[in-house]
Amino acid sequence: MRSLVDHLAVFAAELRARGVPVTLWDESDAAEALTLVDVAEREEVRRTLRIALKIRPRHAGIFDAFFDALWSVRAGPAAISEAARQRAVPHAAPRLAAFPAAGAGTGQSVERETPQGDTPAWSPEALLRRKPFDACTAEDLAAMERILARLAEKLATRPSRRLVPSRSRGAVDPRRSFRAALATQGELLRLARRARAIEEPRIVALCDTSGSMDTHTRFLLGFLMALKSVARRTEIFVFNTALTRLTPWIRKDRMARSLERMAAAVPDWSGGTRIGECLEAFAEGYLDAMVDSRTVVLIVSDGLDRGDTAALVRAMRALSSRARRVLWLNPLLSDPRYEPTARGMAAALPYVDRLLAAHNIETLERLLPLLAA
Amino acid sequence: MEGQGYIAEPQIATAVYLAREMKKPLLIEGDAGVGKTEVAKVLARILETELIRLQCYEGLDVATALYEWDYPRQMLRVRMAGDHADPAGLEHVIFSRDYLLERPLLKSITRPERAPVLLVDEIDRADDGFEAFLLELLSDFQVSIPELGTIRAQHVPYVILTSNRSREIGDALRRRCLYLYIDHPSVAKEIRIIRSRVPESGARLASQIARFVQALRTRRLAKSPGVAETIDWAQALVRLHQDELDPAIVEETLGCVLKDRQDLRDVKGEELSALVQASAG
Repeated sequence: MRSLVDHLAVFAAELRARGVPVTLWDESDAAEALTLVDVAEREEVRRTLRIALKIRPRHAGIFDAFFDALWSVRAGPAAISEAARQRAVPHAAPRLAAFPAAGAGTGQSVERETPQGDTPAWSPEALLRRKPFDACTAEDLAAMERILARLAEKLATRPSRRLVPSRSRGAVDPRRSFRAALATQGELLRLARRARAIEEPRIVALCDTSGSMDTHTRFLLGFLMALKSVARRTEIFVFNTALTRLTPWIRKDRMARSLERMAAAVPDWSGGTRIGECLEAFAEGYLDAMVDSRTVVLIVSDGLDRGDTAALVRAMRALSSRARRVLWLNPLLSDPRYEPTARGMAAALPYVDRLLAAHNIETLERLLPLLAA
Repeated sequence: MEGQGYIAEPQIATAVYLAREMKKPLLIEGDAGVGKTEVAKVLARILETELIRLQCYEGLDVATALYEWDYPRQMLRVRMAGDHADPAGLEHVIFSRDYLLERPLLKSITRPERAPVLLVDEIDRADDGFEAFLLELLSDFQVSIPELGTIRAQHVPYVILTSNRSREIGDALRRRCLYLYIDHPSVAKEIRIIRSRVPESGARLASQIARFVQALRTRRLAKSPGVAETIDWAQALVRLHQDELDPAIVEETLGCVLKDRQDLRDVKGEELSALVQASAG
């Protein structure tokens, strides 16, 4: 049994190295589960591990490819470390080969690997086009802070469906009322009440960082980060030719540092745009988990697209059918002669609830009431 | 499981087996209509035990999920006792199990004879606070009621949680459970499901329906049809005395399968005929 646990640890560590979140708890579940099934039966072991390690559909491909590579048809679990050592060469799927190898020898990788969380994947080529991205200027930040104070008040205004005890507001709460009355021999002297809780807004922001947006991105990203510090549930993504989730890179207290780290994480900074593909990637990967009928989706882009408008339309349709509201911020709107005729913009427009300008703080302030869920 | 009219893939059977043996809750995710809730119902039938269901929704609170005191009866009791009753004794009476209304979660741990199946349906609809509370209950299977003390589980229930992923389930809860993702069924499996649930449908019709629905799922639709929709459709076609698909009847009844206006508009005319033809082959 001892050895089985060891092999399992190797397998779990390798999965973690590929971005599949597998915890020690999951491993111990898997170890227990393997004692209940026939470990010589390959498909049975695959099913068991999938259940006990809690492999989600989006990681199923990685799991299967790696499982196959390790558990060749004839080999039982005992062959696992042998297979792991050989994995770089033959049957590991091409997709795995693209990841930087976790470590040459297996033993080594077990020691070195720690759970990575959602590290955005990036391609080395994209680094070549990366551009330095540092903090907003001092005035910008000061102005942001002034907005924040107001933001906090304006944002937190939506009543939730959840009821919480309240002093004078809301409907009678029988549970607490009767409870209090029992102390006075059933005489209802005072009615306890409960009212709807005030709920934090949920925002998903998708910010275009392509070349045509260059002069605005720094400022707008600063704004989004400020937003995040008030509304903690804000999720921030950036896109140009690929989509990157920024949320895990943001530390509330260190804005400048966060921006640096973000710049390092985002591929193709200031390159071209493929809005449609990127929004579709969002719709496929995150829509279910992050957008619900309370979520406001904020797209920040000039709509100058080189990609496929059919993809854009599909993605916008999916977004608008699920979100509470879809807002599009377009810096080009600052020009009064501007008409939203760029291909991408025109295609997306029918699905956008409000098209708004976004070139200075004043215009951003106008946005606030719309963000309150 | 098949004896109970549920066509189980090995993956589902393994998950249910492990959950039973390891006494761990099973978290089931998957699109609407793939048969998540059905797993719990079938499990209850197999174990010949009671199914206790808690439907989650936003704003679900402890009073609805766990327990509530029967206030009107308590109040009546207090009034009947009059002014001269012994207050301590009275309190003891009205805060006893007799005056306690058990809600699903409490019910699931107080069954005297055998462990029931507890289905916590659509956990993603409840809020984070409720999730945390549930986590606590699932780890100890005991409930503290301030007036009564702690109630421990007589039998630890079999717990099944389902989620449509309208919200990401917290890691802590996920860790506590075993995990099963149910995908849409394969053609062969779907044919078997149709024939088992709608026995009046002939082999030919069942296979055409299954192929047609499968072809629909490969398209980009706003709402992909689930197995529940397939069964509805098969039933509708049987009612209409159809023994095969033809474009006219499909167009009339497509509302059973596609439940989005845009989708219905996208699939019609030539395309629909082509789909019907392809599934006839």
